[in-house]
Amino acid sequence: MSASLAYLQAWQQLPEALRARRDAVWRHFEQHGFPRVSEEDWRYTDLSALNDADYAADASVSITTPGALAGWQRLVFCNGERVEGEVQAPQAALADDGITALNAALCRDGLNLHVGRGQQSAPLHLLTLDSGRTMSHLRHRVVLEAGSEATLLIDTRGDDSATLTTSVLEVEIGANAHLRLLRIQDIGASATDLSRTQIRVARDARVEYVGLDLGGALVRHDLNVQLAEPGAQAQVHGVFAPSGRSHVDTHTRILHQAPHTTSREIYRGLVGGRAHAVFNGRIVVEKAAQKTDSEQNLASLLLSPGAEINAKPELEIYADDVKCAHGATCGQLDDMAIYYLRSRGLDADTARNLLLFAFAHDVLAHVTDDAARQEMERRLASRLPGSAAYEGLMEGLIA
Amino acid sequence: MLTIDNLHAKVGDKEILKGLSLTVNPGEVHAIMGPNGAGKSTLGHILAGREGYECTEGSVTFDGQNLLELETEARAAAGVFLGFQYPVEIPGVSNMYFLKAALNAQRKRRGESEIEATDFLAFVRQQIKKVGIEPAMLQRGVNEGFSGGEKKRNEILQMLVLQPKLMVLDETDSGLDIDALKMVSDGINAMRSPERSVVLVTHYQRLLDYVKPDFVHVLARGRIVKSGGADFALELEERGYGWLDAA
Repeated sequence: MSASLAYLQAWQQLPEALRARRDAVWRHFEQHGFPRVSEEDWRYTDLSALNDADYAADASVSITTPGALAGWQRLVFCNGERVEGEVQAPQAALADDGITALNAALCRDGLNLHVGRGQQSAPLHLLTLDSGRTMSHLRHRVVLEAGSEATLLIDTRGDDSATLTTSVLEVEIGANAHLRLLRIQDIGASATDLSRTQIRVARDARVEYVGLDLGGALVRHDLNVQLAEPGAQAQVHGVFAPSGRSHVDTHTRILHQAPHTTSREIYRGLVGGRAHAVFNGRIVVEKAAQKTDSEQNLASLLLSPGAEINAKPELEIYADDVKCAHGATCGQLDDMAIYYLRSRGLDADTARNLLLFAFAHDVLAHVTDDAARQEMERRLASRLPGSAAYEGLMEGLIA
Repeated sequence: MLTIDNLHAKVGDKEILKGLSLTVNPGEVHAIMGPNGAGKSTLGHILAGREGYECTEGSVTFDGQNLLELETEARAAAGVFLGFQYPVEIPGVSNMYFLKAALNAQRKRRGESEIEATDFLAFVRQQIKKVGIEPAMLQRGVNEGFSGGEKKRNEILQMLVLQPKLMVLDETDSGLDIDALKMVSDGINAMRSPERSVVLVTHYQRLLDYVKPDFVHVLARGRIVKSGGADFALELEERGYGWLDAA
């Protein structure tokens, strides 16, 4: 497998010392390339176009940064380089497939957050903006020591250009620590975003994840949560709402490795236009993970005749004393409900959006920070038809 | 207020209404009775503007305008209210939010100002007492997990809040026990005024003991086949509808 010229050029532009240190991961990428549709985990998401893609090695960018969230610190990356905020980039470690290897070889920057024992860090908004025919590769690492707390929003945006973004986030949550992790993926209609989130949760620690996937020509997010020690808990919730010709693929894998571990997973899909959504939610309960308590619930709405979804819940249970519940449904907006709302005076767009919001609210209600939740609601609304009706739409809406 | 003239309507390919005519003046209460499948619910949905319900002939005039030309939501703002035979569950949208959003949408369309949140809360608290709805139910999803009787009372609550001019109540009395029927009837009677009109679609004379109609009509085979005063309902209760076919 030979990598396309664009990747090789980007590699050759790195300083020699860096290349020497990263030689193994680069060779991994050269050898394996991007995953292929012949691999089960990639059967619906075809990356072959990336092999011939052409990207400028670097491009200056001028995107206006949006206003900051009240009460949040902010860190901004444009085309893979930091333009706002002070941090130390992490060392890339994880490189177990073509994408993470490419990311490890080419990354230039990222967040390295370390929260000390018993500390509470201020909420951090990590904003990524990409523009132009460029690549950006970011590598983030978050370590929460025992008893600490952190809130992080990873927010990826772009314009109309055909950018390629890869990002890898590795998270270690120490004993009894608590991470609230939010993610908004809101790239442009021509852009590609391949990301991996890898989370290890230690004894009695917990992660609360809520994600929102909105756009992109080709989007793939792999979210792997390892409940490695007794009492570890994970909440893995998300909304995916692709429209136009977007392709959004979400793969979650929750690994119960120790007794008394708990996971809750709720995903809601709103698939419009000619978009294609893929959701694969795998829950693995290893033999040692007795008394596992796991629930998974997936529901999707197809909003137009050209929309498509491939949803697959997967349960693999090797322990015998566990509680696992799962359910998956797929349907359409209820015409009778729209009629009922309209018969009371709401116009058709508002009626439709109200139903969509109520549906997505099953997930977004879990975002405890008000500023972040409103931001996620606003961004979801901006992708819905007739979103001018958003003002106050969610006010008083109770799930 | 409402003039229906020679109305023909179909649902899908099936013609249901076949030349229905009815005039409702301000302040009047009309009861429409008749056998199953006669077109009673179709009439309600044609007036409210349900998609797929198509008028093929005739006219419906409401307050001087062609009602059938208006969008569903515009009819609501103009003052038409349909109490659904089977109220729809809307999970995730709170009852209270729904009431406020609906009222403000109607007011906005009529060029009126939005209602103040605190005034509205006080107003709704008064109305729920009339229909025996617990305040906690305002915070629940619209009709979500409500019993049949609770759903019907919730329809009446919406009517009390939205204050429509023409109320078309499609079997709002079906499946209610006596106490609930009294509350629903009290709600309807509270709305009666010289400016407002009511069309009660019902199977049972029992409702008409509590809400006394000015006219009683029999709808059969897509048309009004016979009309009379309040006493006509008693006769129908006794004799059924079969004799009208022979007539």
